[in-house]
Amino acid sequence: MSIEITMPRLSDTMETGSILKWNVGEGDSVSAGDAVADIETDKATMEMQVYDDGTIARILVPEGQTVEVGTPIAVLAEKDEDPQEIAAASAPPLEPAPAAQEAPAAAPAVPAPDPTASAPTPATAAPVPAAGAERLRISPVARRLADEHGIDVSLLQGSGPGGRIIKRDVMGALEAGRETAAALVPSAAAVAVPTTPVELSPAAAVPPAGVRLEPGLVPLSNARQTIARRLVESKTTIPHYQVTVTFNVDPLLDLRRVLNEQLAAQGVKLSLNDFLIRGCALAIHQHPEFNASWAGESIEIHGEVNIGIAVALPPERGGGLVVATIRQADRRGLREISAEAKHLAEKARTRGLTIDEMAGSTFTISNLGMFGVDHFTAIINPPNSAILAVGTAQELAVVRDGQIVIGHEMSATLSLDHRIIDGATAAQFLVSLRQLVESPATLLV
Amino acid sequence: MARIIEFRDALREAMSEEMRRDPRVFLMGEEVAEYDGAYKVSRGMLDEFGPRRVIDTPISETAFAGLGIGAAMMGLRPVIEFMSWSFSLVAADQILNNAPKMLYMSGGQFGCPIVFRGNDGAGGQLGSTHSWCVESLYANVPGLKMAIPFDAYDAKGLLKTAIRDDSPVFFLESERLLSVKGEVPEEEFVVAFGEALVRRPGTGCTVVSFGRPLYFCLEAATILAEEGIDCEVIDGRTIRPLDLAAIVRSVRKTNYCVVVDQSWPFASVGAEIAAQVHKACFDDLDNHVVRVHSDDVPAPYSYDLEQQMLPNTRKICEAVRSVTYNA
Repeated sequence: MSIEITMPRLSDTMETGSILKWNVGEGDSVSAGDAVADIETDKATMEMQVYDDGTIARILVPEGQTVEVGTPIAVLAEKDEDPQEIAAASAPPLEPAPAAQEAPAAAPAVPAPDPTASAPTPATAAPVPAAGAERLRISPVARRLADEHGIDVSLLQGSGPGGRIIKRDVMGALEAGRETAAALVPSAAAVAVPTTPVELSPAAAVPPAGVRLEPGLVPLSNARQTIARRLVESKTTIPHYQVTVTFNVDPLLDLRRVLNEQLAAQGVKLSLNDFLIRGCALAIHQHPEFNASWAGESIEIHGEVNIGIAVALPPERGGGLVVATIRQADRRGLREISAEAKHLAEKARTRGLTIDEMAGSTFTISNLGMFGVDHFTAIINPPNSAILAVGTAQELAVVRDGQIVIGHEMSATLSLDHRIIDGATAAQFLVSLRQLVESPATLLV
Repeated sequence: MARIIEFRDALREAMSEEMRRDPRVFLMGEEVAEYDGAYKVSRGMLDEFGPRRVIDTPISETAFAGLGIGAAMMGLRPVIEFMSWSFSLVAADQILNNAPKMLYMSGGQFGCPIVFRGNDGAGGQLGSTHSWCVESLYANVPGLKMAIPFDAYDAKGLLKTAIRDDSPVFFLESERLLSVKGEVPEEEFVVAFGEALVRRPGTGCTVVSFGRPLYFCLEAATILAEEGIDCEVIDGRTIRPLDLAAIVRSVRKTNYCVVVDQSWPFASVGAEIAAQVHKACFDDLDNHVVRVHSDDVPAPYSYDLEQQMLPNTRKICEAVRSVTYNA
């Protein structure tokens, strides 16, 4: 019996997946555990493994196509089977999506044959989108209402059949006031983080006179849609406010220099962010509201302190950002935290994180210090109750012991869910964090 | 002062009042005189108006439908009773090919002010050939008018209007409704053609129907109200002329529309209304119009199968839930 490989459900919320890349071709032998394809889900890009040995007889869904979970995407011939026979007997593959620049006349007049057509589908369900899967589905009245109220429908999640945006979705967005918040997203969403400082070029590149930007529309990736949806949800449903402090980081910089000198031979290079992860995790122990979620009828306090770190993704991985989770950061040493943060950031940028590696954070840190940013505010990463936005360690003329001296200061801005954390509580957390950061030996023991 | 009377009595009152009012009006059909009508609609009319105006005919719809058309062309105002609209099919050439076209074909010399009336739709276990819903088939023809009364009030008011109308009017009653009682005013009244009536106001979903299926629509609306779906049930009353404006007003408010039509689905009144709503309300619709019809099969004789085949409360509930994305 040949084995049908179907689009796997790689996360709880995954409805569709895109084949970013096939790592195998038809006729290739594979062994159980081989990563045969890269799949983009609503949350991440993940490797898809096969669970059997055999030969890839047929690839049914080409790269770049999005299909629903459970849709057959390839056929595997078992060891004693002839792959060509299996291929001949299998369903026809999906048509590749027409290239964007292709003339409309070249597009197929009828939808590509649906390989799942023989499977019974509910009467209201839309057929599996083949070509042009990213087309916006929206009912006429939903479109009209969105236009009337200036709502950007591309940010809405359709609840109708096949993801159709219906009146209920638009009215829901309207009531939640999303349209106003959505406008704020582009300026506030740029949280992020390489671990190495960014080289700031001495002079910005200036384009030749008269060259204009190429206008156009950029289709939304699954990840971008998820970022948009979650940040709008956060910004519109959580009563945010911010509290900013500035830390004296001279002791911390001194300590880091000493540690990095002594540990360089072992390949250890601690970043300021590593100290902050540990500092926040310890401070949270004194202020459990910072390790909490709003649960409607109650406030849920979490038992584990899992610190999320925002990681910016490079353009070749579709850009955007993900939050990697350092689990039980309060119970782990600096060295371990540093190694894990480095590993996760690297993996996020190259291969992508698994759902597990992104799940379960209880508090998030976003650091733009390496870009020289003085200070900024971040949007809370639900279901967290707070996020810390960290700026750069600036060399300044500062007052120490009544003297103006050269010192280093770093701003940190908490965004807080006022349903859970009041201003005075936030200030007390920052007092605890200040003690840890400004007397950093505590972070070592 | 209103009285509570049966649907069949309302029909008789309409005919009798119009016959008293206008000597050109007469009633003709099978067993309408001596037997008081196969369904006792014309009870007592022979006694009051005599055999020249209440006329029994042989069992030949072709003959008496044609006779009526000739009388109408010559200036009389016949009311032709079909025991069932199922039997009108043998008179198709008379009622479809002559009556509705007469004014046009004669260059205005001959009108055809005639009313054809009788039972339409499933009477209950009458089998495939005697359970016709003719509205979709006949409404296709230009030149005729078509009315479908819902209750005693409309039966009387619409039939009086039909008799006074100068066009051939196809008046579709329901055997299942003849004994249903309703309020009818003591004083003279008529119900104009082309004026739909909101039988139940609502904001959640427009449900359009005619005649007997409206009872199922109202029953469905009560069930759906408990689920939080507030239906507006519209009685179209006349299919030709159709009060599209009333339907559009409602759909603009609710954004959803279900059409319940007891004919078969293909090329039907329901399909026509759906098409007109799609055109008039395109930017107001949150879903396509959903239609509820009799299933696309000949009417079965079995009671259970017939109930499943007809538009019923369950089908209407399912349609409303589906169209409003509550399925």
